[in-house]
Amino acid sequence: MGLFTKEKETAPCEVEVSHTFDSLHAHVKFLNGATINPGDEVLVHGAPVLAGYGEIIIEERTATITRASMVEQVWTRMTGDLECMELAEFAFSEGALS
Amino acid sequence: MNAHTDVNAAGIIPENSDDSTAMATETTLLDPRFYTTDFDEMDKIDVTPVRKEWDEMIAAMSADPNKGHFKKNDEWNTPDWEAMDPKLKAELIDFLVSSLTAEFSGCVLYKEMKRRGNNPDICALFQLMARDEARHAGFINDALREAGVAVNLGFLTKAKKYTYFRPKFIYYATYLSEKIGYARYITIYRHLEKNPDKMIHPIFKWFENWCNDEFSHGEAFALLMKTDPKLTNSFVNKLWIRFFLVAVFSVMCIRDHLRPEFHKALGIDIDWYDREVLRKTSDISKQIFPVAIDLENPRWEKNLLKLRQASAAMDAARRKGGIAGAFGKVGAGARAGLAFASLYLIPVKTDHVIEEDSRMVPSY
Repeated sequence: MGLFTKEKETAPCEVEVSHTFDSLHAHVKFLNGATINPGDEVLVHGAPVLAGYGEIIIEERTATITRASMVEQVWTRMTGDLECMELAEFAFSEGALS
Repeated sequence: MNAHTDVNAAGIIPENSDDSTAMATETTLLDPRFYTTDFDEMDKIDVTPVRKEWDEMIAAMSADPNKGHFKKNDEWNTPDWEAMDPKLKAELIDFLVSSLTAEFSGCVLYKEMKRRGNNPDICALFQLMARDEARHAGFINDALREAGVAVNLGFLTKAKKYTYFRPKFIYYATYLSEKIGYARYITIYRHLEKNPDKMIHPIFKWFENWCNDEFSHGEAFALLMKTDPKLTNSFVNKLWIRFFLVAVFSVMCIRDHLRPEFHKALGIDIDWYDREVLRKTSDISKQIFPVAIDLENPRWEKNLLKLRQASAAMDAARRKGGIAGAFGKVGAGARAGLAFASLYLIPVKTDHVIEEDSRMVPSY
């Protein structure tokens, strides 16, 4: 890992999107054991995975992982905590509606 | 496996149009955040000190008492969205979308923890909680579809940055979030039991059993924190807990006041509701947190109001933009910071005892 430079790598992954009454979820799993660290960015290639209502889609795709530079990783570790209010369930809708 | 290439402009599969309730469909792009944490630290959690309680909890969650609950039945009467006052409709949809995003994000977070972890106890728990959250999200999603709102799950193919939280911050924030979620749902439910004419949407009828899931997730985090007394007893961590209590409580009050029409239609006085929810949550959180906010202290409501006003001024400045907006933001930010500090500095209550076995059952 570079101090300031970002490195990119590709990884095979499995995306699973469920758009059903019983479960609404979407996940990405890396098939080569790659793990994500603070500040890394993940981009799944290809067209959006569009599950219509009632569908569950499981597909293999390729993803690019842009590894955060060392500085960025430290920064994300330090500042990420400040954003943890997002975890509170009502904290998602921003601002007044009108 | 399923290949899709016919992406339309909105990025969503067209909804079936022969549905008699079909309306002009708008799409909402779900944009959950992605988190990472110190998975090695989480792997080291040892539930041995609370093994008995832990196994009972996992068994109860595995039995899945709410499995059959999230089904539509005769009780579900689809609201007349077309005839609804547009402001109320917008706020009700906003309520549903933010609830859905919360459930969905919880699911993403829990699933990630389950997947990255190597500790079988922890993985089992997070898998069960992810199951509940995905189920809740599916149920809300269905309600949104009736309102002509389709969610777009296309976010997976957009670049996503992973942010980082220390495990203990996840425990404090999610514990409180689950318990306050329980208190919110049950307070609305009990209010509507007494005022059935205010039932503006059938989803509230499901809240009684629904909130038991939130309650038990909160219990799980309480047990997790019990495995390591330092998490709740060290000097520094007590200051963090105090911070989370004030932050979660005050943000809730700010957000609720942004939906005046929604609460009016429910016949709920927002100040009463927030007071009620905070009282319940505060009482429950004494099961694990050694400090509690003194909600009776007059400084609490006084500074809460100041914080809300500063937050409204911030919103106004943001909308205004330009130099005046920028100055406005600085002023509002300073006032908000001051109000928050005043809330934080109210002496906390510490006169409660945390039992060795402090498990609770939903009782409101």
